[in-house]
Amino acid sequence: MPQAVKLAGRASLLARCLSELGQAPAQAIEAPKTLAQAIEAPKTLAQMPGPGALSFFYDLFCRRGLSRLHELQMEGKAKYGPVWKASFGPILTVHVADPGLIEQVLRQEGKHPVRSDLSSWKDYRESRGHAYGLLTAEGEEWQKTRSILAKHMLKPKEVESYAGALNSVVGDLVRRLELRRQRHERHVVTDVAGEFYKFGLEGISSVLFDSRIGCLEAEVPEETETFIRSINTMFVMTLLTMAMPKALHRLFPKPWKTFCEAWDYMFAFAKKHIDRRLAEVAVQVARGQPVEGKFLTYYLAKEQLSMKEIYGNVTELLLAGIDTISSTLSWSLYELARHPEVQAAVHAEISAAVQDGAIPSASDVARMPLLKAVVKEALRLYPVIPGNARVIPDRDIQVGEYIIPKKTLITLCHYATSRDERFFPEPNAFRPERWLQRDAARHPYASLPFGFGKRSCVGRRIAELEVHLALAQILTHFDVRPEPADCPVKPMTRTLLVPEKDINLQFLSR
Amino acid sequence: MAAAGLLGAVATLASRRLLCAPPGAARGRAAVLGPARRFGASARAWRSSEDKVTVHFINRDGDKLTAEGKIGDSLLDVVVDSNLDIDGFGACEGTLACSTCHLIFEDQIFKKLDAVTDEEMDMLDLAYGLTETSRLGCQICLKKFMNNMTVRVPEAVADVRQSIDMSKNS
Repeated sequence: MPQAVKLAGRASLLARCLSELGQAPAQAIEAPKTLAQAIEAPKTLAQMPGPGALSFFYDLFCRRGLSRLHELQMEGKAKYGPVWKASFGPILTVHVADPGLIEQVLRQEGKHPVRSDLSSWKDYRESRGHAYGLLTAEGEEWQKTRSILAKHMLKPKEVESYAGALNSVVGDLVRRLELRRQRHERHVVTDVAGEFYKFGLEGISSVLFDSRIGCLEAEVPEETETFIRSINTMFVMTLLTMAMPKALHRLFPKPWKTFCEAWDYMFAFAKKHIDRRLAEVAVQVARGQPVEGKFLTYYLAKEQLSMKEIYGNVTELLLAGIDTISSTLSWSLYELARHPEVQAAVHAEISAAVQDGAIPSASDVARMPLLKAVVKEALRLYPVIPGNARVIPDRDIQVGEYIIPKKTLITLCHYATSRDERFFPEPNAFRPERWLQRDAARHPYASLPFGFGKRSCVGRRIAELEVHLALAQILTHFDVRPEPADCPVKPMTRTLLVPEKDINLQFLSR
Repeated sequence: MAAAGLLGAVATLASRRLLCAPPGAARGRAAVLGPARRFGASARAWRSSEDKVTVHFINRDGDKLTAEGKIGDSLLDVVVDSNLDIDGFGACEGTLACSTCHLIFEDQIFKKLDAVTDEEMDMLDLAYGLTETSRLGCQICLKKFMNNMTVRVPEAVADVRQSIDMSKNS
């Protein structure tokens, strides 16, 4: 497609330029006045609206607020406007729920962006003497690892080289879905997210180790189930342990203990697989054989990271590639099952892009704009990271009309912006076709499921490829229907946004 | 029916063209161009070489920076290898995770560039000061026809708000 055409249609640009002034496009006409006001008298944190510490604490712990954090974003925005403060346990955080303002924060994030200072993840690593991985490291240490990983994980050519390994995992997924559906008289697969967890773990393992660990076999290894359970436990406990003031940890030690045990299992699991794989490589090298295949752990070892650093990073990469893949695939298929007309169009698109009987390749996916739009729309409605965070460690920044002091935790309310009707008409409706048109009203920072910039998701391109390849093959083999037809599933927050209950789908053979 | 409609929407993407003026189009940058910087010694030595391409960058302050690169090098490589002083350029090191290597091309060059991929488009959408001839420098590799082209670095992100900040915190 000629790029002139692709690049055309940037009407959103004008809206962007106006919204740079700190206002949403709808109010853009007033922006200069607001800017003038901002120059005269930027407001302080003390002047920022927000719930009192007690009422937010009540919301979090008594109104199931921890699992409804994404809904609290919507409530906060409706009540206080696009910027408000709230105390998340012992930590004061400024919520930002407007895409123009989120853009302002991200453009001021500096050379070594910091996600959050308060992580209980860091406390665990300190207490066990583990190294930080890419998710938890900061500063120069983070930059060193990021440069290495990004080189192997984000560059399009590098990403394509994982397609073969990923497609082989996708083939196993399709076989496993076939097995599961045949076990049910109406070909229903219950809890599809459970299958996609295993797929995610097998997929990221193939990327990290270039070897299979059997998650999609008929009999799933016990350690696989335990690993996945540990991730779930860890994510549930993450929010709880962060929201609990330190003093409470002494009174109620169980959450912290459970959290640490979950991490212990994950670190041990990763170490076992790393050691096994690197031992195999060592034997090959000793025999003078070439090391074949493309796997990330080997690259890390070659880049002269210490074993401790490799354990820290591989553990984090393993866990980062599972819920994310599972949720995105589950919601995409959930919505496609409820929108048979979209599913039919995607199926037609896949059939046209792929030669008869062939397995869709990375370059075939490039010819599937509607399939990609389906995933974008699923991530808009159900962003895996409903709220991201930034801390500017060394200087105060201005966001909209407020000066935010350095070291303040800033919560970026992606869930709220991606369901804002100013940017997405009918915001709660699944309408993937909206991504096929350049919409002047849409702010590009309104839906940022992978974040943006040098601290954005390092697995983004691999995850996109993995999800696209999986959907392409699943839809080639099956016509997916909702089961039961009228039973909506809502999202809930468990640090990440996941389905509140099982998503069951009927898989009919095509 | 609806399925056909959706596929139709894909097809009409190719024919959509909404116009918008590039920001800064009327600013007359040429008038405020500074003097060209001196070439590095190594750059001078390569000048006559066949597989070298010369590129001029108009920096944010209007300064013209000139550098050479090998055919096949990306514009980000050129900026990094020649140590060109463009603040914040290429923050993600060419991994398509940001848009800080955003450059604005001349029309006649822009038309000849390789097609933009979806991945680059996603990042360009998030760029500051986007124009109709914008591309990411990390994705544009030097070819012979680019010799002596001029590319413009878009306006800096910093605005009135941030400059107040800077003065406060410096």
